Amino acid sequence: MLAEFSDRLSRQINRGTEVVLAALMVALVLDVWIGVVDRYFFHWQLPWPEVLARYLMIWAAMLAVSCGIARREHIGLTVLLMSLPQGGRRGLLVLIDVITFALFFYVLWFGIGFAESGAKRQAMILGATLQPFYSAIPAAALLACVQVVLVMIRDMGRQLDTVTPNEGSGA
Amino acid sequence: MIVGFSFVLLLAVGMPIGFAIGLAGVIGIFSMGGGVTFLAIGPSKIFNGLNVFPFLAMPFFILAGEIMNSTGITGRLVKLAEVLVGRFRGGLAHTNMLASVFFAGLTGSATADAAAFGRTLVPAMVKQGYKRDYACAVTAAGSIIGPTIPPSGLMVVYGSLMGVSIGGLFAAGLLPGLVICIVCMGVIAIGGKRENLPKAERGATLGEIWQTFLSSITALLMPVIILGGILGGIVTPTEAASIAVAYALFIGVFVYRSLTFRDLYAMLVRTARITGVIFVIIAFASILGWWMSFERIPQAIAGSVLGLSENPYAVIAIIICILLVVGMVMDITAILIILGPVLVPLTEQIGLEPIHAGIIFVLALNISLMTPPVGACLFVLSSVTGEKIERISVKLAPFLVAEIIILFVFAFWEDAALMLPRALGFAP
Amino acid sequence: GGTIRFGHDNKTDPFENPAHACTAVFQNIVTADTNGSVTVEVFGSNQLGTAAEHVQQVRDGVIQATLTSTGALASYYPRIDVLNLPFAFANNASTYSVFDGEFGATLAADIEAELGDVVVLGFPDTGGFFAVTNSQRQIANLEDFDGIRIRTMTLPSHQKIVQALGAEAYPLSWGEVYSGLQTGVIDGQMNPVPIISFANFAEVQKHMTLTNHLFSPYTFMVNKAFYDDLTEAEQATLHTAAESCVTASRGLSRIIEASDRGLAGLMDKIEVTALSDEQRAAMAAATQPAFEAHVGENLDEKAGELLTLFKAEVETANASTYID
Ligand code: NA
Ligand code: NA
Repeated sequence: MLAEFSDRLSRQINRGTEVVLAALMVALVLDVWIGVVDRYFFHWQLPWPEVLARYLMIWAAMLAVSCGIARREHIGLTVLLMSLPQGGRRGLLVLIDVITFALFFYVLWFGIGFAESGAKRQAMILGATLQPFYSAIPAAALLACVQVVLVMIRDMGRQLDTVTPNEGSGA
Repeated sequence: MIVGFSFVLLLAVGMPIGFAIGLAGVIGIFSMGGGVTFLAIGPSKIFNGLNVFPFLAMPFFILAGEIMNSTGITGRLVKLAEVLVGRFRGGLAHTNMLASVFFAGLTGSATADAAAFGRTLVPAMVKQGYKRDYACAVTAAGSIIGPTIPPSGLMVVYGSLMGVSIGGLFAAGLLPGLVICIVCMGVIAIGGKRENLPKAERGATLGEIWQTFLSSITALLMPVIILGGILGGIVTPTEAASIAVAYALFIGVFVYRSLTFRDLYAMLVRTARITGVIFVIIAFASILGWWMSFERIPQAIAGSVLGLSENPYAVIAIIICILLVVGMVMDITAILIILGPVLVPLTEQIGLEPIHAGIIFVLALNISLMTPPVGACLFVLSSVTGEKIERISVKLAPFLVAEIIILFVFAFWEDAALMLPRALGFAP
Repeated sequence: GGTIRFGHDNKTDPFENPAHACTAVFQNIVTADTNGSVTVEVFGSNQLGTAAEHVQQVRDGVIQATLTSTGALASYYPRIDVLNLPFAFANNASTYSVFDGEFGATLAADIEAELGDVVVLGFPDTGGFFAVTNSQRQIANLEDFDGIRIRTMTLPSHQKIVQALGAEAYPLSWGEVYSGLQTGVIDGQMNPVPIISFANFAEVQKHMTLTNHLFSPYTFMVNKAFYDDLTEAEQATLHTAAESCVTASRGLSRIIEASDRGLAGLMDKIEVTALSDEQRAAMAAATQPAFEAHVGENLDEKAGELLTLFKAEVETANASTYID
């Protein structure tokens, strides 16, 4: 029951995140194209494409981390895991999820202070503070935390059960 | 000590590599005893570790590769390689190697090569009677040609972090990339009898070769456009990656007319996800790297290297050994961020040309992509084909030895390493 | 007492780099004069992060001191932009007296008040005046700038100045400048002479004009809580050591300019053009109003006051002669 609910919620959040990711990627490509075209054709001398590209890239890459968690695409070694009996393996995989949660909770906790520090700093070119860009870190960490919890409840360490020992695909 | 220990432990129990690096870094700054003041550094290092414009080349090259794949370009390149070398014993193994050279012009990443050929060529090889572990080993050995021949994501990162001309590194990569292909084909030929590799029934006619060449011309033009754009002064190497995306889109929409919005959406999302997996490693490595700098570990390493010997050849050999050994347990971009600032200045001290040092680093790190236990190409191949990493590694051994020898040849033979960069004016 | 962890983003050779020369001198004097009760550990070469990150780390007390560029300080303290008044200084000596004098003290006090968590110890030399290099033509007169595409940092004032000269300004990340100049993605760039020399831009540029249009010193700052914890004698030592650090940065900058790694060496590889007073005056007339308009639009009233003081002090300094 709870596992099914977590699975559904994880998918929904992931789908929403992916829509945002696609939009960010399009913006990123267009931004760099504009920089090139400006230099050769328009001569507007736009100051922002380089800066904006960096910040869009950070937002996209960091948000995508939670999608990788939801789909278990962040790869680790499975040699030891696959040599354990099923019970031990499941326990260890849940423990890994708990530690992963702790890591992203750390990033979230201190990321909030980091984003606030951005409010006092000017992004010279964009005429704004750095807060909206710094916020990528806590926002992405929050999503990562939520996804880790959801997929942990969904899988409860069973994610490698279907993999036969001689396959050893990524965890 | 505790940081290294916890990193290896986390890695061994199956923690994703990027997260293990991140935890090691956090444990490091926590162990400094500065409490909240030091712990608060983490998010800032994550942000600033990624705040590098040239890193953009990575998602762009991935996206261009995705689009090219979906248009069936990869298949055409494999076909071209097959009509050229498919007739020999181990024809498909040779094909795999040569196709990696063609594919290298489209991709800046070895894992893209491994994923594409792991899905297509490995099953084809198995069907023809190759052992799966051998097919995977050939694919892994060839996959590092992708980021050796330009464009190369790793070279972009190296160039921007170390302040070395990216165009110069691109020029320096072409020759080693071709040499790797030729030497590995030699390894296939030598081991062919022992492995009892199958042969194709008949060779292709000249007409077939010409037809296949024509049908893959759009793909073969991609590197010409990318390098032409850079050398012609139209775009920077980073922007060139965005031009690669434009070209791939143009081909997909206007030439093959096979690209739908739905495909495009899926490709954008997949590109973002792959980027996230790579960038989270870069981000977390920045924390670990900061802690190491603060504890002056890099200086200690540099000091002990020069303490062993100040002979330039010895120093180069030690640096290569460090890169290859660390490369067994760590992601290569993380190595570049953490060890680059230590080892690159050493190459300056012994008078190595920056581009020469760069190509040594790039080759060593690329080779590390396929050394077990932590090797991105091995992970990809294992998950795509279902073959065990240990079994691939055994078959990979002769290729690995050959590639390490190539690395040492280019490391010690400056004239060979710098021939093309000099010809193009990138090195004195 | 305590340890000063001193971060900067330059190469760690005291004979090739004004920033490191400055930190080495500071380290030596502080350690010796306090009998080791205060020690200094220098972290160069961006080991601990970018220049802007260094400022944050000093403010947070993670490290205790840094030398920061005006560009990196601008996001914390936008008024630093007033230093970008183009074609202000007549010579190097004027920069010394302005930053050691009333203006330097006022600026330091304003930075301290605005940030609240740092103490400013001085304004070391980054390598001298900015020069402009390009691959298109010799630039001697204002008109020669017309249409040349120049790479600038992502600083609005630098872009405004370049545009007021009649050139085009495109921000490009530092890592791409050399190859950008080489392949012709951009025509030129502007930087202090030692940076032009060390980045080997002479290999990929034909002409260099000693415009001397900008002078951007480092800001030498230490963490305030750390400073307040020192004894008065130790604090005094920090100030005298900082003064020698600033002097060393100036001396080394002039020596680099004179050596084969500076102007003397560049002369063989690139056509060097110095400007007459009339040519500079024309460029000043073209750029200064645009710059002042930019300050008026983007910065606060306090910045306007700082600019007024800056101009007055510069004028006095320019008029004075050595030992008169
Ligand atoms: Na490539
Ligand atoms: Na490896």
